[in-house]
Amino acid sequence: MTSDSYRLPLALPRVRRAEDEGAVAGVCAGIGKSLGVDPTLPRLTFALLAFAGGAGIVAYVGAWLAIAPEHGPPPPRRRLLGFVLLAVAAAIALRGFGFSDSLIWPGALCAAGILLARRRRGARFVAGVSLVALGVVLFVDRSATDAGRDAAFESSAVAIALLLVLGPWAWRLAAERDTERTGRIRQQERAEMAARVHDSVLQTLALVQRESGDARRVATLARRQERELRAWLYPAPHAVGAGLASAIEDAAAEVEELHGVPVELVRTGDVPLDQRVEAIVLAAREAMANAARHSGADEISTFVDVGEGEIAIFVRDRGGGFDPEAMPTGAHGIAESIRGRMTRAGGTATVTSSAEGTEVELRLRRNP
Amino acid sequence: MRRRVVLVDDHDLFRAGVRSELGEAVEIVGEAGSVAEAVPLIRQLDPDVVLLDVHLPDGGGHAVIAQVAPERPGVRFLALSVSDAAEDVIAVIRAGARGYVTKSISGSDLIDAVRRTADGDAVFSPRLAGFVLDAFRSGAPAVDPELDVLTTREREVLQLIARGYRYKEIATRLHLSVKTVETHVSAVLRKLQLSNRHELTRWAAERRLI
Repeated sequence: MTSDSYRLPLALPRVRRAEDEGAVAGVCAGIGKSLGVDPTLPRLTFALLAFAGGAGIVAYVGAWLAIAPEHGPPPPRRRLLGFVLLAVAAAIALRGFGFSDSLIWPGALCAAGILLARRRRGARFVAGVSLVALGVVLFVDRSATDAGRDAAFESSAVAIALLLVLGPWAWRLAAERDTERTGRIRQQERAEMAARVHDSVLQTLALVQRESGDARRVATLARRQERELRAWLYPAPHAVGAGLASAIEDAAAEVEELHGVPVELVRTGDVPLDQRVEAIVLAAREAMANAARHSGADEISTFVDVGEGEIAIFVRDRGGGFDPEAMPTGAHGIAESIRGRMTRAGGTATVTSSAEGTEVELRLRRNP
Repeated sequence: MRRRVVLVDDHDLFRAGVRSELGEAVEIVGEAGSVAEAVPLIRQLDPDVVLLDVHLPDGGGHAVIAQVAPERPGVRFLALSVSDAAEDVIAVIRAGARGYVTKSISGSDLIDAVRRTADGDAVFSPRLAGFVLDAFRSGAPAVDPELDVLTTREREVLQLIARGYRYKEIATRLHLSVKTVETHVSAVLRKLQLSNRHELTRWAAERRLI
C-alpha cells in the first residue's frame, strides 16, 4: 500500500494511464493511482482474471485503448473499441464464474440499451429502449424454452407490456429529476446575482439619487460601479491571482475615487506580485495621483505592458505640464515616491512634460 | 459632406445619446436594435458607416458584419461597446470592423472616429490596442511571418496608442507622417483579420471565438 489511505470510489474515479510508471502500458499503475492503492493490486486482479478464459488479457487491452493517457485525450474511435473489448472481457469473466449465456447476453443488451438511452434524446434513445426490450424478451424467452413455445410467447408479451407500463413512468421520473435539478441551479444563480446587484448596483444608484447635485461625484460613483461590474463579468484573462494586473487596477480605482478623475487603464499580460513589482505599482499609483491632483486634465491614460523581459508602465495626462528640473527639492512625490522607489527596485523612472501634458515612464526588468 | 450613418444598438437610451452627441455632424439615416433588424436595413440604406454594438440580443455585432459585408463591401463598420471582454471585441474586428471605441468616448472623438472609418482608416482605441498586443504576444514561432508577426514599428505604434497618444502625436514622436501612422494601423488591422497564426488561433479558441 502507498502512504495514501484507501479512498472509496464513490463517484467513478478519474483514471489516467500512468505511462511513465507502468510495466506495460501504465493501466494498472493508473488504476492504482486513482484508487489510492499499490499498483500490484490491480496487476494481480488482471493476472487472475487472465485465467478466467483470458478475460484479464482482453480487459487489459480494452482498458489500454479506453483509458486516456495522462497527457492528451485519446481518439474517440479507439476509446469505443476499448469499451467494446471491456464488455467482451466482462462477458467472458461472467461465463467463467458460471453464469449461463442466457443471463449474460440479455444482461449485456440491457446494459448497452440503458447506456444508449441515458441522454433521453432522439434516435439514440429509441435504439437504446429497443435494445433493452430485446434483452428482456431474450431473457424471458430463453428461460421459458422448457415450458414450450406458447409459454415463451406469453411471457414475452408480459415483458413487453411491463415495459410499456413502466417505461413512460421511468421516463417521467427521470425528466422530473432533471427539471428539478436545473431549476435549483437556476435559482441558486439567480440568488447569487440578486445579492451581487443588491450589494453593488442598487447601493450605487441610491447614492447617485442622493448626490445628484454633484456631477463629479456622480461620475465617480458610476465609474467605480462600472469597474466593479466589469471585473465581475469579465475576469482578467491572464490573472495570476494576486498579480500586477489586479494591483494596478485597485490603484487606479483608488486614484479615481480620491481625486475624481477617470483613469483609462489598458494592460497586457500579468506577473505575480513580489517586492519589486509592488514597488512599480506604488510608483505608478503616485504618478496617477500626481496627474489627478496637479495636471488639471480630465482623464489619465495608464498603460501597463508586461513584456518578455521587462515591465513598463506609462502614466500620461493631457494637462498643463510642468518643468521636472525646476521642481523644488521638497517635492517629495516625484523624487522619493517615484524615482527613489524605482531606483531601489532596480528600475528606472523618466518624466517628460510639455505644454501638451506629462508622461511618467516606469521600467523594471523582470526577475530572471 | 455629411456621412450617412446607421446606428445598431439594442438600448434606445444609448441610441438617443449617440444621436444627440453626433448632432449635425453626420446624418443618421437609420437605427436598429437587433441583428435581424439591422441586416435588411443596412442592405436597403447602404450607408457609409455602421456604428455597431458588440453585443446584440440575437447574436453579436460580428453576425451583422458577416451577413452584410459580402453584399455591401462599401459599408464600413465601427464597433462601439461598453464590453471589456477581449474575445467579443476581437471577434467583431476579425469579422471586418474597421475599429473599436468604448462608449465612454467623447462626442467630438466619436465624430472623428466616424469620419476616419468612412475614409477607410482603422480606428484603434487604447483598449483595442491593448487587446491586439495581447493577441500578437511575441514568443511563439510564426506560421506565416508576413501576417503573423507585428513589425517593430507596428508594435511601437500600438504601444503608443495604448499609452493614450493620438495619431498626430505618434507621428511627431516617431518622426513619421500621420498618413504613415495610419498605414501601420491599417496593416495591423489587416493582419488581425487574415492571420491564422497558431498563437492567435489558440488565443481565440481558448476564449471560444472559433
